Amino acid sequence: MSAASHGAGCGVVLGIVVVIFLQQISYLTLSDLTPAIEYLAVGAVVGGVLGALIGWALGRSYLSRHALAQATAPK
Amino acid sequence: MPYVTWNGVDISTASSASSALTIDLTQSANLVYNWSTTSGITINDARLQMFYFGFAVATRDQTLTAAQSSGPIPLSWTPLSINYVLEGVYRLTASLIAPNGSTMWSENFYVRGNAPLGFVAALPIILVVIMVYEVYGLFRSGRYAALGRKSAGPPPASPPTADSPTVEATAAEPPAESTPPAGGSS
Repeated sequence: MSAASHGAGCGVVLGIVVVIFLQQISYLTLSDLTPAIEYLAVGAVVGGVLGALIGWALGRSYLSRHALAQATAPK
Repeated sequence: MPYVTWNGVDISTASSASSALTIDLTQSANLVYNWSTTSGITINDARLQMFYFGFAVATRDQTLTAAQSSGPIPLSWTPLSINYVLEGVYRLTASLIAPNGSTMWSENFYVRGNAPLGFVAALPIILVVIMVYEVYGLFRSGRYAALGRKSAGPPPASPPTADSPTVEATAAEPPAESTPPAGGSS
């Protein structure tokens, strides 16, 4: 599993959970099925894309830091 | 034209989520269904339903012993079963049901339910815990870059040096010295 796919998975869950949480604090109404499903789908897609980007960036950062650490390690 | 009051307030004033009635989920609500028909239509059931994701999560019925063509029907509703589970804005439907089961009149309105102390409900607390866990997982996702690289390619941990064959040879030699070949040395 790559960093981007792991980040996307976390982002999808976060997007869905945030939509339900917004309803609980009265920013959204999820009483009707159709708009509720649309809100959840949009939240999942947006969360997945943002999570993939964040995971990809964190993965590059992690690899560059560890490559640098290996290059500068005392022999 | 029928109308319904919620603790004395006409529910037609809460026809949108932005104008929802603010209620305390721990307190009972007193509804009064008022109607009058002149065309022989009778009513024997007043119904209140609360919807979540299109499904009725709470239903309260007040059934009359005899069908009536007019009159108020009082209905008391205490959402005790959900006040520690849910909060937020919900759509409710008030309906008048005929004896044959058909809905003769209904009206949608919105309520904003507040949990005890403003946040003590199970679902928002669980959602916050899930969010914290997933944010933690998201910021740990960088480590998966290293795991993916290790599984896809050759192990990059120790670059090959001139000493490596020597180490392998010395590792293989002691058994050869300790257990000589059966044929002996010639």
